[in-house]
Amino acid sequence: MALSKEIYAALAAIVGTNNISQEPAVLHSYAWMNGNELATKDRSGFHPILPEAVLLPASTEEVQAIVKACNRYQIKCKALSTGWFEPAQALQKNVILLDLRRMNRILEIDEKNMLAVVEPYVIGAQLQAEVMKLGLNCHIIGAGGGCSPLASATAVIGNGADSIFMGYSAEVLLGMEWVMPDGEILRTGSLATENGWFCSEGPGPSLRGIARGKVGSLGSLGVFTKCALKLAHWPGPRKFPVEGTVPAYNSPLPEHIRTYTLAFPSWKDYADAIYKIYDAEICYIAHRQFSMLGENLWPAFCTMYIDPTKSLDDLEDIVNDPEVRRLTDEVRHYAFQIILAGMTPRDYAYQEKVLDKILADTGGHRVAAMSEPKMEKFVALYLLKLPIKNLNHVYGNGKTNYFRPDGTPDFAVERADQMIAVLKKQEETGLLPKTGGDALMSTITGIGGGGDFHFEQFVQYQRTDVASINAAAECLRAAGRVGLQTQPGRLPELEGLTGQEYLAALAKVPQAVRYNWQWKIKRMLDPNGAADSTAYTTLEPTTDSGS
Amino acid sequence: MTEKIAQLAAIVGRDHVIDDLATTDAYSRDQSFAPPKRPSLIVRPVNVDEVQAIVRWANQACATLIPVSSGPPHFHGDTVPTAAGAVVVDLSRMKRIIRVDRRNRIAIFEPGVTYDELQPELAKEGLRLSTPLLPRRSKSVLASLLEREPTLIPKYQWTLMEPLRCLEVVWGAGSRMWTGEAGEYSSTDLAEQERLHRAAVVGMGPANVDYYRLISAAQGTMGIVTWASVKCDVLPQLHKLFIVPADSLDRLIDCAYSLLRIRLGDETLIVNRAELASMLGKGPDAIKQLKAQLPPWALLIGIAGREFLPQERVEFQQQDIAEVAGRYGLKLMPAIPGAEGSDILQRLLTTSRGASWKLDYKGACQDIFFLTTLDRTPQFLTTMRAAADALAYDSSDIGVYLQPLHQGTSCHCEFSLPYAADDPAAAHQVQELFARASNDLLKAGAFFSRPYGMWADMMYRNDSQYTRLLKNVKGLFDPNNVLNPGKLCFKP
Amino acid sequence: MALEQYRDTMLGCTRCSYCKWIPLAQIKSWRFAKGCPSIEYYGFHTYSGGGRLTAALSILEGRTGYTDEARDLFYQCQQCGSCDVTCKLCLFNMDVAGTLREVRADLVEHGQELPQHLPAMASLRQQNNMLGAPSAERGQWSEGLGLKDLRTETAEVAFFAGCRCSYDEGLRNVARTAVSVLQHGGVDLGILSDAEVCCGSRAYSLGYPQEFDRLARINTEALTKAGVKTLVTPCADCYWAFKRLYPEKAGATFEVLHVVEFIDRLLQQGKLVFTKSVPMTVTYHDPCHLGRQGEPYVPWNGITTKAFGNITKHVPPKPRYNGALGVYEAPRRILNAIPGLKLIEMERIREYAWCCGAGAGVREAFPDFSSWTAAERITEATSTGAEALVTACPWCERNFIDAVAGDGQKMKVYDLVELVQHAI
Repeated sequence: MALSKEIYAALAAIVGTNNISQEPAVLHSYAWMNGNELATKDRSGFHPILPEAVLLPASTEEVQAIVKACNRYQIKCKALSTGWFEPAQALQKNVILLDLRRMNRILEIDEKNMLAVVEPYVIGAQLQAEVMKLGLNCHIIGAGGGCSPLASATAVIGNGADSIFMGYSAEVLLGMEWVMPDGEILRTGSLATENGWFCSEGPGPSLRGIARGKVGSLGSLGVFTKCALKLAHWPGPRKFPVEGTVPAYNSPLPEHIRTYTLAFPSWKDYADAIYKIYDAEICYIAHRQFSMLGENLWPAFCTMYIDPTKSLDDLEDIVNDPEVRRLTDEVRHYAFQIILAGMTPRDYAYQEKVLDKILADTGGHRVAAMSEPKMEKFVALYLLKLPIKNLNHVYGNGKTNYFRPDGTPDFAVERADQMIAVLKKQEETGLLPKTGGDALMSTITGIGGGGDFHFEQFVQYQRTDVASINAAAECLRAAGRVGLQTQPGRLPELEGLTGQEYLAALAKVPQAVRYNWQWKIKRMLDPNGAADSTAYTTLEPTTDSGS
Repeated sequence: MTEKIAQLAAIVGRDHVIDDLATTDAYSRDQSFAPPKRPSLIVRPVNVDEVQAIVRWANQACATLIPVSSGPPHFHGDTVPTAAGAVVVDLSRMKRIIRVDRRNRIAIFEPGVTYDELQPELAKEGLRLSTPLLPRRSKSVLASLLEREPTLIPKYQWTLMEPLRCLEVVWGAGSRMWTGEAGEYSSTDLAEQERLHRAAVVGMGPANVDYYRLISAAQGTMGIVTWASVKCDVLPQLHKLFIVPADSLDRLIDCAYSLLRIRLGDETLIVNRAELASMLGKGPDAIKQLKAQLPPWALLIGIAGREFLPQERVEFQQQDIAEVAGRYGLKLMPAIPGAEGSDILQRLLTTSRGASWKLDYKGACQDIFFLTTLDRTPQFLTTMRAAADALAYDSSDIGVYLQPLHQGTSCHCEFSLPYAADDPAAAHQVQELFARASNDLLKAGAFFSRPYGMWADMMYRNDSQYTRLLKNVKGLFDPNNVLNPGKLCFKP
Repeated sequence: MALEQYRDTMLGCTRCSYCKWIPLAQIKSWRFAKGCPSIEYYGFHTYSGGGRLTAALSILEGRTGYTDEARDLFYQCQQCGSCDVTCKLCLFNMDVAGTLREVRADLVEHGQELPQHLPAMASLRQQNNMLGAPSAERGQWSEGLGLKDLRTETAEVAFFAGCRCSYDEGLRNVARTAVSVLQHGGVDLGILSDAEVCCGSRAYSLGYPQEFDRLARINTEALTKAGVKTLVTPCADCYWAFKRLYPEKAGATFEVLHVVEFIDRLLQQGKLVFTKSVPMTVTYHDPCHLGRQGEPYVPWNGITTKAFGNITKHVPPKPRYNGALGVYEAPRRILNAIPGLKLIEMERIREYAWCCGAGAGVREAFPDFSSWTAAERITEATSTGAEALVTACPWCERNFIDAVAGDGQKMKVYDLVELVQHAI
């Protein structure tokens, strides 16, 4: 249903004629997302559904007016900020998109109480740069500093390399302002009673619980227009040093901030070490990052990347370098990266000693080659700022992943080999980069202090090659089949099922009642269906559904 | 009534349906100024099936239920019925400690479990649970966490929900669910989940809703929780407590911020002499004597050495904290006039003597507490004292407890107002002071995040969006208003 | 259709949005984090490098057609190359800058010329310059300088003034000062005078490759005939054309230097010595076409194959053109060598410098956008505390001077050669 002139005029009156567009080229640019090609029949990166229009609101008042107009005119809206994932599109017909990039201010930084108040289009790198001037740091999600911390905290997921010290995005969320799908504004926590931004809970039952759970609503339930985020101490230089020739930027950091790759003899030792790190309360950063590039390739890739005269064209030669081969074998499977950051010199010394003990107890060691100065400075910058996370797509501009279920380290390592086998087999077709099979990335914990772990198996493919895309899709299907066997009660894979079949499969999953509740919550919050809630899974309750 | 008893007896057994006057009288009132109301019955289930059956019965019979897990004395009025004919659901029989998982540092237990019951079991596995300040012996651990009572170690508070994680809940509508990670896919058998290494670690979810947040600080109005998982700390092998004394609160604020920022120390709290004297003193005379000896203010810092190099940890932290204190012209002391750090630590690690330490001084006590940020607490102290002076209440009796929370981003601010239990004039004075000070503090910016009694009216007035949505959420989970009606913003 | 050659780049956009920012690692503040003037001004995602790739693909695939708005959005871009640099941080085989240029050629080919560019293109065809001035007056800036006339004489070093310096009265001094400095350094210079035609850089970036070819042929033939071994220019646009385009497209073989490179060389050889103090605090603006786009052309005739099953590999390795080899150090060495001068860097420098706003026809077609972009840079320069903004391109200078005047700001604008002149 195209927007009528009346509706278009009403929307233009809210944002101004320069801030609304129905130009086809513009609409298509908002229907493009990496990953679409895995779902579309023709393997196109264009979503089959276009938004009706794209708007650029500048304020909460404009957002509210737009949402109320959607209620009035029975159209749907979906908001996005940096929008680097599939839900940040119009997923059904009759949707207008709200691109929030004009709402991009840092409203306040309270150094003493360690919080910052931001609008949706502040990216992590901007916030981090500003708070580091004050000796503070902010949580950066695994997808990197180019993403919106507000979006992560209010509406998406939230684990990152720094979660061990700074927590999950939902854990750093404080007061927030939410334009709900019915157009009313909810302010949560201490903001609800105009007491400031510092607390996200209450008064009484904490209604932010309706807005998001472990996962957020993914743009499906209105628009989050402001929020406060808890910060943490940064014991490093307030002017973050970056040197080097593009792209080989690196950061020389003071001696009390050290970056290591730790390697262990087995999955069991690997898991044991992670538990000990949780218990010992060391580490500022803990991340299994480079494994995403594949067990056979990642050391070579890093070696290549830190030399600005080298490129992907040199990777084959570098892989065959004897030193690189040795390193590749040394870090195969059971390795991850950490940063120790001493809050004081004594704290730093203590952390190093504790690390020594953990390594002794688990047969692990610090990988010397990764502590060569050039490499260490590169890894330090990488992990602290996550500034080049589009390396996720480096081999062929296409990337997907499987085996996400979060759980304990034991849960994950028990299934790791099976998951590696799926990719390894698919790589034999020659249609996917031969990474070796283990492209398992993970945050060592997704939540603060430890406990929540997951593996994300990266499947990179050639975006320009339909056969490669098909191979990646087949890999997901194969992983889904294995997953169903190894993870009882796991959600069915969407691939290959119609919408109705998927819902029917979902209804049989143990504890599917949570989707019945979400059905009720969606109806409560969005009586007129003004939000594009395709990404918010709901199951209509039946008499048997137990809710 | 007889029919009611019979129906409930069919669920829990006749022995566990109580209607005698003495017992119902005990539940009709508490230490607060909530108007007394006698419940009709007390029912004591022993497992979740019985709880669910009770809730379903209440929906069919149009009865109201008041969930209670802790033993007396209660202080906030939340367990005093508002509606006539209420049935108290006393969960204290549910005393299972279902699991203690050292590796994942998770314990799962039922609502009737107290701190004195839980801690020894945790200790066997080398674990300990952060506690609030001197919980009473009869306090239910689960209830304390559900009500977001602040715990003593700010650096472990990744959220204000900590250390609470997953729950089993029977909603007011009568259905049952597991929240958090326990409610994600996998089996609905806890033992099977454990076999699969699913350890009920993450409290958020399942999926896109944080159900445990909707039940928290709900005063039993949304659902009845029948087990909870909690994240435990590693049991210290070495544990010391130090004090940073000061003449005024202002002098301690920046020092506390510096420590919180770099996460030095474990237990971190600020108390005034009246509060500390009440914590330590045995009986009114001892408390009075201590008040005279103790410094006006004390920042209490615990330092624990746990599994890894405990001695070294305690030593280096002690040195670092002393240096930080020194920057502010303060000293880190192992003892102060009137108290040894070790004695204070001992108090902090155990439950309250007697019914409650709060009653030791004068027999009765009212607490005013709210959330703010640490830097604003001196201003609230001034407001509180002004209110006390206006009503001729001796401000030197006011106990002050400041608990930094959420790794330093917020602060629980608590004023304790002791008074003679057997003096109606004193009670009246404190009742007036409570009301006046609460209003003054609200105007000054206090955030009553746990809105008991009159605070609920303050927080939910003006029919704000928050109030409207909260009522809608209540309508989802307890459409027949079965659970503790009349609390928060819900109609009686 | 040549646009088809860039299909892989268009398909390769992963929607990461890095094209909108300077490299995230280099962000030092909220204020100066942005890299792309176009999306900052126009707002919709389509106005970023990635957004334009997708819009171009939608045209290529016939999903959308040519509309005025679609045409305009491809021209509302200075082609500064910031998006190209940041994209290539992670994606090795993208050619965002090339795609953005090609899509304009495609538009022109399909009759979608931008009306605002027609006068400049007419001037180019008729008078061989972008500024609507008579070609016969092109050499007037050089009167009295005693330069060899390469129409009739030979010289090893040719000075190429470029359209802006030749015809912009306010900037003729830049060319004259540059010549004077080089002569002071003992360089024997010649110029083509009225026979000099536009380098063709703008024609190329506006989507008129044939016009570029015509102009490049004229210049190359004239310079070759005059025995020129080295071409030196004060204009970054011309520098880019001669350095990157002429070798590939016009077979030019002479060495190409920007004036700052030549001065740097003279300093290192001791042929130029700074003797006077220039007490000033300045900040330096890296022109796009001298900095990140100022990389030399590297011929590549290799093959494209696969490694590790399905990772694209070029044999021999293909040049990256990611800004690493731009001219950044020479101007800074010069400034740091001037006695009394203090250089303070802006936050956005080198390969991640913010554009002056003038490039790729934006100054001609969208003056508000152009001057906004320049004003942004002036604000950044002012934030350093510097009293002067120094650069090495007359197009940048013109845009900055106009922006300062328009905004009532106090920042002085200099070409680097002017400060050198003061120091010798």
